[in-house]
Amino acid sequence: MLLSVDNLDVRYGHAQVLHDVSMHLNQGELVCVVGRNGAGKTTLLKTIGGFMKPAAGSVNFQGKRIDGQPLEQVALSGLKYVYQDKRVFGELTVRENIELAAYPSHESLDQAIAKVVAIHPKMQKLLDAKAKGLSGGERQILLIGRALIGDPKLLLIDEPTEGLAAIIIGEIINILAAMKSKITMVVVEQNLATVSRLADRVYVMKEGVFSREITDPEIIANPAAYEDEL
Amino acid sequence: MINFIQSILYGLTIGGILYIISIGLSLTFGAMGIVNFAHGLIYAVGAYALYSVATLLGANFLVGALAAVAVSIPLAYLIERFIIRRLYGQSIDYAIIATYAVLLIGADALKWFFGASPLPISDPVGELWYFGGLQMPAFRVIIIALSVLVFLGLSLFFKKTLVGKIVVAGLQDREAVRSLGIKVERYFAIVFVIGSALAALGGVLYAPLSTLDPYMGFEIIILCFAVVIVGGMGNLRGTAIAAFTLGMVHSLTAAYLVSSAADAMVYVVMAVVLIFRPIDAPA
Repeated sequence: MLLSVDNLDVRYGHAQVLHDVSMHLNQGELVCVVGRNGAGKTTLLKTIGGFMKPAAGSVNFQGKRIDGQPLEQVALSGLKYVYQDKRVFGELTVRENIELAAYPSHESLDQAIAKVVAIHPKMQKLLDAKAKGLSGGERQILLIGRALIGDPKLLLIDEPTEGLAAIIIGEIINILAAMKSKITMVVVEQNLATVSRLADRVYVMKEGVFSREITDPEIIANPAAYEDEL
Repeated sequence: MINFIQSILYGLTIGGILYIISIGLSLTFGAMGIVNFAHGLIYAVGAYALYSVATLLGANFLVGALAAVAVSIPLAYLIERFIIRRLYGQSIDYAIIATYAVLLIGADALKWFFGASPLPISDPVGELWYFGGLQMPAFRVIIIALSVLVFLGLSLFFKKTLVGKIVVAGLQDREAVRSLGIKVERYFAIVFVIGSALAALGGVLYAPLSTLDPYMGFEIIILCFAVVIVGGMGNLRGTAIAAFTLGMVHSLTAAYLVSSAADAMVYVVMAVVLIFRPIDAPA
């Protein structure tokens, strides 16, 4: 088992957002977490990613407990996070954004650029552009590419298609589908059509708890079967 | 007209010094969210180190200036390591109290060593340069040139070096840099030391234009906060523009209005900027 989340409670001040949440992830899986706004999906992802400390419970990654470790340490252990709000370093160029990601992983800049360009050739032409001038789709491609640098074992991807045009959403889905065979992923997504194309398993989250785990590929492929549960 | 241009040039001198001192303060404020009053102490220590080496020991000014910068580096490291680093993520109130205490203790230590009387340092160049009908002390021209060099050097540092790029990224989004696996605080500490060395250099440059007193750090730090607020926290270009603009405001007020109101006019400009800058304007 690559990731094991056990009995997680997470609070913002006095407000408890996650209640006794447990999940697991095997090597090579793509697991989607679905649910309405405010259900606790992003909080779960951020807690796994080391951005937040749980009030109770544990997160084990590759057999080691990582909850409570510094964010840098979690990232260096092979777990990378792709932000929901497409947070690139706007004052730096695309090349420099890649350079920063390559530095802690000791990967050469050329190798790192090759990885980003491999997921979308368009990035080659944008290498010297300031990241703040990129479109939403280009930012998302940069963020996904940047997260792949250093060969992480697990990607946590938060709402990858949110706010993007339909044509770009198609490209992002194709990118994630192509990555599926190479890397394990947890994807938080509200767009069930995207989920139905990508997921090996689905966790439905409601008011801070998992209300259902869906493993049957036929049900996953038919979002109408579970959209009422959101 | 000549007087006006001369006042502008004097303003550029003050602006240059303000820029050199303020840049470290701006980066500490913008990157770490720390209001660092101890910056004023480094500035004062720089001036007193120059006095000790150049006046008391009789070495030349340049050696004194280098000694001042050299002394500031371990002092800045100690302040960062044992005080500033403990304040990351804490309330800004703690930073104000802790760093103000450092400034107070340091100023009293300077008074204990050197006495409370103002100490003069003579102009190290001692020449006037003439440009048409203008006359300008050569040392002031050197200050302007040096501040431009510092601006260009820092611009290159932040554009071309990995440390600079990490700090630029960290100024925008510290958490995102950390999520790449980079211990961003280490790089902020490097920039803190560079900024402190520049504060000491500012003390060195200002000393011959004024006199040294143990509490000189208190006056300059408030002026520098005005620069940082007008220029924007962590905004490198904004800090330069604000420093030179406020330097000229200072100089023109002293020349054409009331000399004693020069400092006050800087705060008036700061207040006007705060009133009219949109709340959501970038820092």
